[in-house]
Amino acid sequence: MPKLADIRKEAWDAFEQVGLPTTRQEEWKYTSLARLGSVLGEAWWTPAAPTSLSVADIEAFAIPNLDAWRVVFADGRLVESASSLPEGASLTPLSELISTNGEQAATALQWQADAALFNATVAANSALAEDGLCLCIADGLKLARPVYMLHVNSNPGAAHLRHGLWLGSQAEAHVIEHYAGVNEESGLTHAVTLVHLGQGAQLSHDRLQDESLKQFHLGRLDVTQLRDSHFISHAVALGASLSRLDIAVDLSDTGAACTLNGLYMPTGRQHCDHHTQIDHRAAHCTSRENYRGVLDGRAHGVFNGKIVVHIGASGTDSAQSNANLLLSDKAEIDAKPELVIHHDDVKAAHGCTVGQLDDKQLFYLKSRGISEDQARQMLTFAFADEVLTGMGQLALRRFIERAAFSKLPLDMDAEALVT
Amino acid sequence: MLKIENLHASVDGKKILKGINLTVKPGEVHAIMGPNGSGKSTLSNVIAGRDGYEVTAGSVLFHGQDLLAMEPEERAWAGVFLAFQYPVEIPGVNNVYLLKAGLNARRRHQGLEELDAMEFMQLVREKAKLVELDQTFLSRGVNEGFSGGEKKRNEIFQMAVLEPSLAILDETDSGLDIDALRVVAHGVNALRSPERSVVMVTHYQRLLDYIEPDVVHVLVDGQVLKSGDKSLALELEKRGYDWVREEANA
Repeated sequence: MPKLADIRKEAWDAFEQVGLPTTRQEEWKYTSLARLGSVLGEAWWTPAAPTSLSVADIEAFAIPNLDAWRVVFADGRLVESASSLPEGASLTPLSELISTNGEQAATALQWQADAALFNATVAANSALAEDGLCLCIADGLKLARPVYMLHVNSNPGAAHLRHGLWLGSQAEAHVIEHYAGVNEESGLTHAVTLVHLGQGAQLSHDRLQDESLKQFHLGRLDVTQLRDSHFISHAVALGASLSRLDIAVDLSDTGAACTLNGLYMPTGRQHCDHHTQIDHRAAHCTSRENYRGVLDGRAHGVFNGKIVVHIGASGTDSAQSNANLLLSDKAEIDAKPELVIHHDDVKAAHGCTVGQLDDKQLFYLKSRGISEDQARQMLTFAFADEVLTGMGQLALRRFIERAAFSKLPLDMDAEALVT
Repeated sequence: MLKIENLHASVDGKKILKGINLTVKPGEVHAIMGPNGSGKSTLSNVIAGRDGYEVTAGSVLFHGQDLLAMEPEERAWAGVFLAFQYPVEIPGVNNVYLLKAGLNARRRHQGLEELDAMEFMQLVREKAKLVELDQTFLSRGVNEGFSGGEKKRNEIFQMAVLEPSLAILDETDSGLDIDALRVVAHGVNALRSPERSVVMVTHYQRLLDYIEPDVVHVLVDGQVLKSGDKSLALELEKRGYDWVREEANA
């Protein structure tokens, strides 16, 4: 393993050579990072100043009534006093690995230029990340409670975070990444999470991005799965001025399965981009993907879901669905399912819709005495909430529902509505 | 209660209703029968206020109010209920939540206090029993994954909870087996009262064995060609509709 310092330097050199992605690249066609440079200048890569938030300030962002171990990062740095770390699992802040053990840190900060959905910002993250969570779960260990990672930003500048979630064979865990903030000046949150699932391991991963509307957010989930492992993701994007999340899942061995659920609700002038790529490299792997968007105002959404079925991936079973609801005629969505199939004998279904609310459903509700406005709200809620039905933690789901629907003019008891 | 005069309506420029006259008094049960395409469902939809139907002439008065000037939800608040021929599935919207929101909206408009959660659940359980609807259906999405018969039963259950003063049943009997038909009819009969009226739209006489009508109307080519008592339904069952048409033309 090369030394940490070498990896950092090599990564930065690689980034400098290529620079930020531009809209001339197919995968960045609809999302321009030009504003990152023009609005933030050097601040886009300069670490934010140490946080001035108190533990009580941070608490105000936390999901209430969540029975979980908590790891808090404020302005890109671990806040130990606000964290309670799990027992049994090896959990180390990246900052500690960097200062004490170059080799483990090097593992956490690795990057591969040939990875799916790779772009040079990933290398920049390897070069610049100062903190993160490195969670190693031993073979067979099942974490009894979720690990709740709360990220809060308050200062301008950048929070480059690198997380690593390594699950041994048959290990099980539930990890929640929550990004929030109150920035009054624009800054960047740049979070890359590496996930490695051993044989038969199971990870439930929920990601809630609800940053301040001034913030830029770049996120990436890089998932490698071994035999019979299962990765279940819920990715919810509500906040940030501009956000981009890349999820690359590598089903590298027989019987691996992934489920990707996503919900994005940009309003106003928000720009929200999701790119996913699932690589079926081995036989009998299963992927399920369901992404839904609710767009209002002049918001711009992007969804690109790529499924690649490689030679030898017999018995692949893949289904992808993307549905978008446009609440305003100024809102815009660029949605693109992409299937690349190199092997016969596979099942790959996909569907993509963009539309308005269903007139028949609206009439049905109104005929029962529900007003037009309320009927619209109920149907919008139901449309979006469908993505969240499989979430394990009710407290988390309710929190997301409240956060999501506070963005819409919603005048009802949303909790009673849901099924 | 309901007074329809010279009602003409079109769908996509095509004339469907061509001068309907119909008066329903409080407490009465009317059956509207007729062949396919005669305008039965159009009439139901126009009364309930569905989009896509253009009323070109005539009037519909409900308790003296101009029903056609009202939004569908306002008609519901005034006491009109339509049991749909094809109830739509609404995944994610809780069956009971829909009813609570609908019922309380109506109570607000009537100047009544809203029911609290306890009172409401008590009402719902009682009404579910009436139509033998399993409790598990209550918390599911509206009609989500329901069989055809379950959907129809859910319509009658909703009607029982909302207690309308005018219920329009649009081919509620279609697709029901005898047992389900009996249950649905029991639900409707339990709701009969001197203040409440029912208009049943149906193809078949069968339903009328279970829900006895006061008046039977024959709707052919967008007009009520003949009205009579329940014996008319039996005659239609035996002789079909052609003789009514011929009689009218004569």
